Amino acid sequence: MKTNFKKIAMDGVITSNPTLKLVLGTCPTLALTTLAMNGIGMGAAVTFVLICSNVFVSLLRNVIPDKVRIPAFVLIIATFVTIVRLVLDKFLPTIYESLGLYLPLIVVNCIILARAESFASKNGVLASAADGLFMGIGFTLALTIMGASREILGAGSIFGVHLWDFKIEFFAKSAGAFFTYGTFIAVFGFVSYLLHKRKKIKSFKLSRLPEAAKEEN
Amino acid sequence: MEEQLKFYSNSPHVKGRRTTREIMLNVCIALLPACIMGCVFFGWRALMIIALSAFSACAAEIVYRLVMKQPFPRILKEFDFSSLVTGLLLAMCLGSQVPWYVPVLSAIFAIVVVKMLFGGTGKNLVNPAITGRIFAFLSFGTIMTSGWVIPNFASSSVVSGATSLTALLKDGTMPDLLSLFLGNVQGCIGETCKIALLVGGIYLVIRGIIDFKWPLIYIAVTGLMSVALNKFDFHYFLPSVLSGGLILGAIFMATDYTTTPNTTWGNVLYFVVLGVITAVLRQATGIEIVSFAILLMNLFVPLIDKFIINRPFGFKREKKVKEAK
Repeated sequence: MKTNFKKIAMDGVITSNPTLKLVLGTCPTLALTTLAMNGIGMGAAVTFVLICSNVFVSLLRNVIPDKVRIPAFVLIIATFVTIVRLVLDKFLPTIYESLGLYLPLIVVNCIILARAESFASKNGVLASAADGLFMGIGFTLALTIMGASREILGAGSIFGVHLWDFKIEFFAKSAGAFFTYGTFIAVFGFVSYLLHKRKKIKSFKLSRLPEAAKEEN
Repeated sequence: MEEQLKFYSNSPHVKGRRTTREIMLNVCIALLPACIMGCVFFGWRALMIIALSAFSACAAEIVYRLVMKQPFPRILKEFDFSSLVTGLLLAMCLGSQVPWYVPVLSAIFAIVVVKMLFGGTGKNLVNPAITGRIFAFLSFGTIMTSGWVIPNFASSSVVSGATSLTALLKDGTMPDLLSLFLGNVQGCIGETCKIALLVGGIYLVIRGIIDFKWPLIYIAVTGLMSVALNKFDFHYFLPSVLSGGLILGAIFMATDYTTTPNTTWGNVLYFVVLGVITAVLRQATGIEIVSFAILLMNLFVPLIDKFIINRPFGFKREKKVKEAK
């Protein structure tokens, strides 16, 4: 079986971007995007956990019985989250502080469980690792860009560098988080729709619809 | 005939000469006294804020429609003055000390996000002016709540920095009722002069645009609830009714057609709960809360409309038959 790495990369970053298309992992997205730096820290942690858990789930996919697969996945994920927490606490205490509660919550992050369930438990080790990497990159990019725009508008700085004194504190608050998230989903959907239209690639559902109708008849 | 049949709308099918444009123009006229008194008390700066807010609200609607590729003649034809009303109301509840970008940004937020994205006039979920004010409050909190301008005819005893409502809620100081009523106190541009607001309200009632019951219920419930919360001390009734934006909110904002229930009993429930929430939240937080209370109750309107419905004509409720023992 030949793995299509280009498709995996496109899936992870654009066509099924975990934050903006699948709308998974909303809790850290809403809470941590006040600063752009948080996005990079959280994204790196999630990417690391995602790659490792995908690799191990993929390795053990024929060993784990189907009925207890979710507890087994959670156990694998929790192991790596603990590693990340200990490493960050020792070497990068400032990032550890700013991520706070959301770091142990990676264990129950939907993105990681969803990828373990829907991709890693059905595919080979290399493909799973690539999927974890690109999904992580997609998550990191989305969080960083959202964090940067909220930081510019809400705090008047970017990556901690002060730009100007004018700030709209609405964007630094939770109402602004929902607003920014919704706007980003809308803009991302619109841009990917335009790209699809230009390439004349019909989306998955639309191309499948007539066939499904024929089969029913 | 076929063209007409394609068009569906919700239940009140009454046709009349009264258009949205006429109603909104009447509301604008009713707001004029409060605008003028605001300018008299707070000077040219208040006029500038009112003009900026009204202009940017109207411009935001037109620009949004142009971006959505609607033809310009149609925009002009469909332009009811509801954006103008939103802009005026928004300026009414801003202090005259705010810098120019506060009314502009809040008006744009109110029109584009709250009204136009939901489909324009009559389709908004919450009151645009209220949400614009809350946007300003959340975004520019320190500018909005400090540095109140002392009105032109104020006596020297007025202390700078606090409105009479915050003084009442925090220290229990009783304000001078006459100057509260005439508007000779610190506060937002449109909400200080109660007599001008009442004149506008009476105009609206005479023109049949609002029902006088609802603002009265809201104001009375808020006042009585404040009295009840302060160990039934009836000295609290008038100050808590007259201070803050309660009268402005009750006459012009809570009675917005789009964001009130359709039925009489739904309206009773809406305004009573609104009054209770306003009084309780005021007491609990110590800041002016009318806008938040109205926003909160706006969100409950679809729920109220779902559960409180008019009895259809000729409908009889089935009598419960007691089971024989």
